[in-house]
Order: sequence, then C-alpha cells, then structure tokens
Amino acid sequence: MESLTSPTVTQRDQLLVEQQVFSLFKTFYNMPPSSQSFMLELQRENHVEYLTNGLKQLGPSFCVLDANRPWICYWILHSIALMDEFVDPELEDNTIDFLSRCEDPNGGYGGGPGQMPHLATTYAAVNSLVTLGGDKALSSVNREKLYSFMQQMKDASGGFRMHDGGEIDVRACYTAISVASLLNILDDKLVQNVGNYILSCQTYEGGISGEPGSEAHGGYTFCGLATMILINEVDRLDLSSLIDWVVFRQGVEGGFQGRTNKLVDGCYSFWQGGIFALIKRLNSTKGERSIPLGDGEDSDPESPRTTASSDATEEGLNKDLSQDDSHSQKDHHDTSSRVNVADIGHNSSKGHAKVNPLFNSLALQQYILLCSQDLNGGLRDKPGKSRDHYHTCYCLSGLSVCQRSWLEDEDAPPLPHAVLGPYSNLLEPIHPLYNVVLDRYQEAHEFYTSS
Amino acid sequence: MHGRPRKAPKPEDEAAATAKAQKLRALQTQFFSFHHSKIYTKDAVELSAKLLEINPESYTAWNYRKLAVEHYLSQPDCNPDSVKSVLNDELGVVESALRQNFKSYGAWHHRKWVLSKGHSSIDHELRLLDKFQKADSRNFHAWNYRRFVSELMNRSEKDELKYTEDMIYTNFSNYSAWHNRSVLLSALLEKKAEGFLSKENVLPEEYEFIHQAIFTDPDDQSGWFYHLWLLDQTVTIDYPLLVSTWPAHGSDVFLVGDRCQIGSSSPFTTLFSDSGSFPIVLYFNQPVEGVSSSTVSIECGFNKSKDLLWEPLSVSNSQTAQVWVAHLKFPTSELDSSVEVSVGHTKEIVSRRGFQYNHPSTFSFKVHVQPVERDSSQVSVAENILWREENFNVYGEQAEESIPIVSFDRLCIKNGHESAASNWRIEALAKEIECFRELLLLMDCKIGKLTLARLLTAYDAMLFPFANKLVHSEEVLELYNDLMKLDPTHHRYYKDEYSSVLLQKMTSSKESLLQHCFRYKDSVSSAIGNTICLRLNNLSLSRTRALEKLLWVQMLDLSHNELQSIEGLEAMQLLSCLNLGNNKLRSLTALEPLRKLKSLRVLDISYNQIGDHSIDTTRYLCCSPLSHSVGRELNKDETVINDVTLNYWEAFYVFRDLNLYQLDIVGNTIADEKFKPVLVKIMPTLKRLDGELLD
Repeated sequence: MESLTSPTVTQRDQLLVEQQVFSLFKTFYNMPPSSQSFMLELQRENHVEYLTNGLKQLGPSFCVLDANRPWICYWILHSIALMDEFVDPELEDNTIDFLSRCEDPNGGYGGGPGQMPHLATTYAAVNSLVTLGGDKALSSVNREKLYSFMQQMKDASGGFRMHDGGEIDVRACYTAISVASLLNILDDKLVQNVGNYILSCQTYEGGISGEPGSEAHGGYTFCGLATMILINEVDRLDLSSLIDWVVFRQGVEGGFQGRTNKLVDGCYSFWQGGIFALIKRLNSTKGERSIPLGDGEDSDPESPRTTASSDATEEGLNKDLSQDDSHSQKDHHDTSSRVNVADIGHNSSKGHAKVNPLFNSLALQQYILLCSQDLNGGLRDKPGKSRDHYHTCYCLSGLSVCQRSWLEDEDAPPLPHAVLGPYSNLLEPIHPLYNVVLDRYQEAHEFYTSS
Repeated sequence: MHGRPRKAPKPEDEAAATAKAQKLRALQTQFFSFHHSKIYTKDAVELSAKLLEINPESYTAWNYRKLAVEHYLSQPDCNPDSVKSVLNDELGVVESALRQNFKSYGAWHHRKWVLSKGHSSIDHELRLLDKFQKADSRNFHAWNYRRFVSELMNRSEKDELKYTEDMIYTNFSNYSAWHNRSVLLSALLEKKAEGFLSKENVLPEEYEFIHQAIFTDPDDQSGWFYHLWLLDQTVTIDYPLLVSTWPAHGSDVFLVGDRCQIGSSSPFTTLFSDSGSFPIVLYFNQPVEGVSSSTVSIECGFNKSKDLLWEPLSVSNSQTAQVWVAHLKFPTSELDSSVEVSVGHTKEIVSRRGFQYNHPSTFSFKVHVQPVERDSSQVSVAENILWREENFNVYGEQAEESIPIVSFDRLCIKNGHESAASNWRIEALAKEIECFRELLLLMDCKIGKLTLARLLTAYDAMLFPFANKLVHSEEVLELYNDLMKLDPTHHRYYKDEYSSVLLQKMTSSKESLLQHCFRYKDSVSSAIGNTICLRLNNLSLSRTRALEKLLWVQMLDLSHNELQSIEGLEAMQLLSCLNLGNNKLRSLTALEPLRKLKSLRVLDISYNQIGDHSIDTTRYLCCSPLSHSVGRELNKDETVINDVTLNYWEAFYVFRDLNLYQLDIVGNTIADEKFKPVLVKIMPTLKRLDGELLD
C-alpha cells in the first residue's frame, strides 16, 4: 500500500474540495457583516430568471437530456414553486400541453413525445403537473391508463421495471409507488412484495443500495425509505442502523456525501437531508397524531382497510400534513405573527415546539448558500462546478427541509434563527415523501381523492 | 444527468453545438418514425446507433434495438455466425455509448441483456470493466455490472476477491472495493467454499489486511467501515441463545397472595402478586420470533391449560422481541410444586436474520404458595413509599441477611457449549486489542479509541463465562470518558455506551450487585411484597441496558441519573416500585415501556422535563414508529372523556393500562393544575398523587 506521504486519489480529491470550501468560508468570515449578509442571501430573482429561461429555451448542450424532458420541467417548476413564484399562464399552458404529448396512449409518460413510457419520467411529469396545480393540469393525467402501465411494469419479484424490458431497481419502486400514492391509485396489487425488494437492498452499513449487493447510496436510501413509508412497511427496515449511516454522511464541509468516502455534493442536501425530514415525521406521526373523532371511516374497527397504503397515507403522514382544519391553521397563523413581531427568540409557544434535528442544519444551509449557490442564478454540486437545473432543484429542496428541521409542525413558519441568512431566504415547505411543495400537494390530494 | 463531467461551453463551440443539436433532432424524427412503424432494416438500425452515441440516455432507442435483434433472430435465414455478428454490433454500440456517458442506466442494462443471450466472453467483459473501473473506481454501475458478469459467467469468487485486493492496493480509500470484498466473503463463507469453511479461517487474515490500510492512514474512513464489518462478523453469534430467565433455574419461588410477611425466604425470589398469577420471563441474546406454547412447553402439576400465551415484550407491537413473557396461574390445590420449562425443542424460534434457536434447554424451579390473611383495611389505604435516604438500609447489614440466599450464578445462563467454538474469536479479539493499543501509542485517534473500547467490551463479554468478571471494564470506562472530552459532538453516544458498560460492571458479580441492594425500611404493611430495593441512583446513567441479571428486581431506584429513555425496562416484569425522578425524560411517550409492566404500583417521575419538548428525541430510535395500532385502540374507548383523549392523549396512552396506587409527577412542565384531574380520571386506581392522598 501507499506510504503516509502520498495520499490516495480519493484523499487528494477530498483535500482539494476541503481547501476550496474552507477558503470560501474563511473569506466569508473575514468579510464585513454587510457583505456577509449579501453572501448568505438567496438570490431569488436571479434563480427565477435562470429557471424561467430554462423552461422557455434550452441551449444545444441539453441534447443529452433529451430523454429526460419531463425531468427538466419538474426541476424547474418545483424550484420556482419553492420560491413561491409562478410561471406565466402561457408558459404554464405550454408545459401542460408538452407533458400531454409525452403521455403514452397506453398510459405513463415518456422522456419526450413519441418515447416509450418510463417510470422516472412519469414521476417527473406527474410531479410537474401537481406543482402547476389547477384543474387543467391535474385532470390531464389519465389515471386508469397509468395504473395499467404500472401493473405492466410490476415484476413478479415485487420490484418495478423502469420501462418495458428495462432495469429493476429501488428508483423504479419509489417512482411507481410515489406516483400511485399521489394519484390515489395505489392498491394491494402494486404494493405486493415491494417491501421485500427494498429490504433486500438494505446493506450492513444501514443505508439502502440501488439493487441487491450494491453499496448504500443517498438517493436510493431516500427512495427506499420513502417507499417503505408509503406502503406502511417502514418498521421492517433496520431504522436505527439507517439513521446511523445517514448521520455520518454529513461532512466537514457541512454538505452531504452520497456514499461512504465520496465527495460532498449539493444535491444530497435533499436526498440525505430529506431522509431526516421523513424520520422526523415518522416519530411525530405517533407522537402528535390527532385522534379522529366521529370519522365515519373509522366507525367500524373491523372493516378491512382497502390497501396497506391507505393506512399510511390516511392515518399517518398525510393526515398530519394535509390537515385542512381551518381552525388549527388560523391558530398557527396567529401564533406566528405574535412571535415574529413581538417576541422574537421566544420559542415556547406550541406551534414552534422545538425538535432537535439529527443533522447540523445550519452547516448544511451554509454549504448550500455559500458553496452551491451561483450568485448569477442557479445552484450547483460544489464550488468549481457549473450550475444546472438538477442541482438547483435538489439544493433548494434540501434548503427548505433544513429551514424547518427544528419544527414539529410543518404548517408553522420556522423561527428566524432556524433560517440562515435573511428571513427572506425562507422557502415554501415541501411534502418530503413526494418532494412537491406542500400546498400543491394538498390541492392535488383533495383533487384526486374526490374525483 | 447527475455527476456527468461537464465542460463550460466556449463561444466558438456554440455554432458546432447548434449544428449538433439540429443533427440530433433530424435523427430523432427519423428514428421515431422507424420505431413506430416497426422498421428494422439495416439502415434503420444503424441510425438508432448514431442516436445512442449522441444520447445514451435514449432508452426508447435501446428498446428499439432489442426489438430489432429479436426480429432478426426470428428470421428463417439467420445462422450462428450472423447472430454473433449482430450481437457483437450491440456490444459495440453499448461501448461507444458508455464512452459518452458511463453512468447511463440504459447502456449498462442493454449490455446485460446481450450477455444474457449467451454472448461475449468473460475476458472481454472484464477488460472492458477494467477500463471503466480505472476511470472511475467508485462507479456503482460498473460494480453492479461486475457482480452480474461474475455470477452469469461463473467467475470464481476467489478471483474477484483478488480483484478487490488489487483495487485496494491502488487506492485503499476505495470503499466500493471494500464493500464488494464483504459481499464476496459473505458468499464464500455461506457456501463453505474451499479455504472458506468457517470464519475462523478467513477473518484473521482479513484483520491483517485491514491493518495495513488503517495504519497507513487512520483518518481514512473506508478502512474503519470494513473493520466494523469484520468486528461484527467476529462478535455476532448468529443463532439465538437464551441468556436468562425468571424464575432462574433451581430457584424457589415464594408466591404470596396479597401483602406478606417475607420471613426468611429469598428476596430475589419472593414475589408479591395481586393478580393471582406470576410471570415466566425468557431473555434471549437477540430479538426472536416464534415463542409460543408449541415451542416452549411447561410441565407442572397445577397448570391445566396447555396453551399458555407468550407475549413479546417490545414497544413496537411487532412479533419479534428479545424478551418474552407468559403468565402462569398460582397453584390452587397444592402448596408446593415444581415447574419445568423446556425451550426450543421444536425449531420455530427464529432470529430476525433467520437463524434458528438450536440449543434446546430446560430449566426448573419450585413454587411455594404462602397463604396469607387478607387485611382489607390496609388494602384501601396504600402506604406512601418515600424514596428518602433514611428509609434505606444496606442489604446484608442485619445478621440473618448475611447469608445470601439466592445463588447469584443462576441469574444468568452460561452458554458453555459456545466456548469451544469461540477460541479463535477470543484470539482474534486479543490480537486486535494489542494492535490498537499500539496504534494509540503512536497517535491520539478518536476512532482508534472507540474501536479499542468496543474490542475490550466484546472480549470481556466473550471471556465472562470463564473469568466470571469483566476484566477490562475500568479501562473501557476510561476510554469513553476520554472520548466524551475529545469529541463532544458525539457525547451522547459515548455516554450511552459508558452507561451500558457501567451497568454490566455492576451486575457482573455478586459483590458489586449487593453493594446496590438496600432494604426499604422495616415495613410490614408495605404495598410492595419485597422490600429489597436495587438502587442505581446518582450514577449519571443515560441508558438502561444490560438488564438480563435484574429480572428479579421489584423495587428499583434510578433517580438522579441522566436518562432520556427507559428502553429495555419492559423486561423487568416484576417491578412494582420504580423511581425515575430527577432524570432527563422529555415526554410521556418516553415512558412507553412502562405499559408492559403490569405489576407496577408506585411510580416516581418527578423533576424530569416532561412537557418541555413536545417530542422526545429518544424516539428517533424506536423500532416501529408507524404502527397505527395506537390510534385504533383509542377509537374503541369512545366513551372516555373526549377532552382527555384530545389534549392529553399521550398521558391516556401511557397510563391507562397501568394500575398505579402512587404517582409523583411534580416538577415537570406538564404537571399543572389542569393535568392532575386528568390523571385521576385515567387511573381510577390511583390513591396518592404527589404525596397527597386522593379521596
């Protein structure tokens, strides 16, 4: 083996990144406070401009993404929604039309018009439409056909194939289950044995790999965990070793790495950071669940549940998140304004109950804002890399998760000190299982459960 | 998409790029028209190759090529040679696509498809892989493909093991290589390949190997992860074992109907019960499922019903638990009788990882029923248990107590049959210990200290049946103390480990255990039947672990510690008095293990932090947070006062199954004037709340 004096390639790369990041931090700490606050500010206008342009016209270098066009829509639309901005009605219409042209006559969405339907692009298309919201977007999905497409993608082993003849992996399981759950078409047939497949991918490290035998990976761990929650089988996973694994993926730079001994990357702010959001809700599900009172559905304790998933979604996470009780929301609102205006720093009021995050939330926000942010708009993997829509989407999603990592109640706004930089950096809350903005989720949930 | 090497566009290239985009658009239009009209001519197929060369992500084109190949193979004029050349073309297309993007899911998948047609050779594939794995040694697509090819072409696992070795020599930080090594070794061990018959043959060499990496650079994480895996392989005993039971083998159990005069019987085995039954507790070395009346048989004169109900003691309501309990009714006819319990004579007790319990064992004990006269006046007014210092006398101070009646050795089962097979484990651990002591002499290294502490703990546990003491516990405690100072970020973790070792140490010998045994004041009319109190107070414990020797305890003082969780306490089925005062419990749900303690009558949770935080962070590690049984159970009690369930459902959930006489809850944020009436409503049995007698 190599001697102490010559580091391995991995170590050299790691060292280079650390140097770059630390010198950035050093410059930052030596700045006067006014420049510091500028550096920490989320450049909303620039980001929105960068994103909106992407939706209108992309340069020729985007050829390689040609089979991922709904993804580009999702990355851009979701990023814009996180900043509580909207696209203009014409662009919105064009997007809906474009996605409809990606929809296969036999169900599911392809990477572009004429391409075969594919589960990942179906996920991207559905999430895009949910993010756009409104009847036109939401009703444009052919749910019956989509369901039959999913059944065709279902493998005898329990897992899903990405597309006809395509690969089976954890990504496919997540995109299928997430879409089915969001569109309210999840049933026992789709759920059957998915849990076994995901379980076969949890490694001895604790995280989840893309396929059996592979090593644990941030993106797949998120997908696997979210899937297990959606099908209400999360207690089959070894959660304590999963948590063990994920907490150690946050590095000295503040950001997350995707796998053991890999470099930090901004997109894992969501893939790994989102795992914490899921875990937090797991615990609060039991802890703060409201008791259904006189809910007709629960009047007969013996009545069989329609699907395993309806257990999870109706009684668990979604119920908490989708509470449409106007009273409680009003209360939160009152509390929040009181705290913000008159009593900053006081955190004993109920809406602001503090939960300690299991990761260093401020360090991650610092990494996202200082290292991943391109001040001219867009976010990136790490300093020295160029911005792109994928990293913009997942850095921002991660930032939203961070800002609420102390909150017990997702409906209440976080306290100022939980948000690094000016309070205007605050992004919209997301639904961590689907990664769509929470109020867009609520609209879609209502739409698909009532129709 | 993600992670693809990107080049910043230069203005002079832009014209070229635009031209390229136009070319792609034309290709695409053409391709889709071929695809949709199912045209598989030579030209059409070539065009799809051009498209894939530019955009390997075009999965529709990959599928088109599969259809084209199938179409060709179904032609009557196709012969083996032409099939070969067609499949070779496919391999070529994949290779050029991978050169463009070696993270393309579609390209790797297409190659698997071609190979599953029985084409290509292992050498060819390995050469290709070599190239890609040199370019990016962490590419998981390549590693996945490597595992696929090796399996498909029956490449020997030993050769693959050698490959991981080479990769590690090139870059010992390459965790993917270490990972694959663990996968390969597990497979080789499982099928008992030549040279890999048992861990004994394999692991010592692996330790040698990993030392090179760790000693070269102790700051690199890859090696430590692999070391952790090795340690786990060395220490973990796969199959379940019975660790302890209550009643212990050969003990005499004195059953007393109501309150009692203990007399000369053993405090460790006298049980007061007001339910007319007593528990039998089985404590395993790991969570198991399948404990039932068919896997555990009970022989005794008085038990008429054969189908004893075994209940898993886990808060998650899962059917897997480390501790199981069944309740046996008091004998009614005879006063003395013996009971024999046989565990695991059928094969259905299975560990979480699927290993069967294969050491059938039997334990027996005698039961003596002591008839007592019922004094009804005392039943109604429960005595106030005061956990004051002056109420406790050191156990054994009085003359008749100086001869301990219980055989301490029986508190724990010695699984002697394990020892013979374990010599290599002990040797391996001893060597590791020596090695890490050396490392720590060279440098101050946190992970090195932690590893040494883990090694010493494992070593002591393994040697315990022979040495009868934990030789290194002082050293381990010292190491964790150091770590808490060196690495304050992970203080909580070290503290938990420290607590666990400390508890192990205190329960490891009769002498150390007796130091914590006290007699609760000379009380005859006590609400408790057994006045021996185990006092583990003021020890700054943060965790309750290593409870297997404490199953006999009925009165336990854990006050003035730093407990945030009482996970595991549900195993102590005999507990009737428990003091958790002055700890750091943060919510009522942290008390969930108490729900399983049916004998609990007196509880002190005063001066904790209940209500300060609405969520208890210890629950991050609970096993089954999404079991919705909680909500469903609650619905059945629709008659219970709604405001209670609404505002204090946690209290309702934890306390409603308890039959407490006495509760102290003062000094918690939650314990305000509104809360007390709620508690009284939830627990009608309550006689005393915060020292005040209730009407």
